[in-house]
Amino acid sequence: MHLHKYEKIWLTFGLGSLALFLIIIGFAAFWKGTHPMSHIETIDPQNVEAHDSFKPENLGLREVAEGKYTVNIVASAFNYDFGNDADGKPVKKIRIPKGSTVLFQVTTKDVVHGFQVAGTNVNMMVEPGHVSRLETVMKNTGEFTVVCNEYCGIGHHQMFATVEVYE
Amino acid sequence: MAKGNSKKRPQVTADSGINLKGTFISVMLLGVFILVLWFGLYALFLSR
Repeated sequence: MHLHKYEKIWLTFGLGSLALFLIIIGFAAFWKGTHPMSHIETIDPQNVEAHDSFKPENLGLREVAEGKYTVNIVASAFNYDFGNDADGKPVKKIRIPKGSTVLFQVTTKDVVHGFQVAGTNVNMMVEPGHVSRLETVMKNTGEFTVVCNEYCGIGHHQMFATVEVYE
Repeated sequence: MAKGNSKKRPQVTADSGINLKGTFISVMLLGVFILVLWFGLYALFLSR
């Protein structure tokens, strides 16, 4: 088969980039442990309180070790439940010091929701029956809005909260 | 007669004499665009 000289060059370039990106995927999956946010772990969406992380008293921000935090959230139409503050009011804003390692654990009682902390790498789908987890380091200070990015119904736009990262 | 002809005839291919320079440049520009975009987004991911 005869190939034009230029054809050989762009075939090499194309196959080279295919190989490069396949290696990157393999590296991310097998070496860095990148995988979908909802793990194999399942949860009864009718009874999320039975799971230790989603008991009403365990919701919201908790410092588990020096500089390590866990945030447990139950999403439902159309709210993110971060637990209640000392006055019994629902928490809508959490404050985290810069440089902390934060594990977000989210589940839903009803339909598919999104959980995105806009402006950070925290972005995942929350599916009924699954627990979505994402651990990240809050590198930048600022106020970040938590938004639902999966259309979940008529009150979809009312699902929001705030994460503040301070010095 | 016919046998002798086919032996001596030089190989003629469809793309002889076709100028592929423009195609080559546009394909490479597209490739470079995709790579720049990918590394740009990766840098955004690392910075956040």
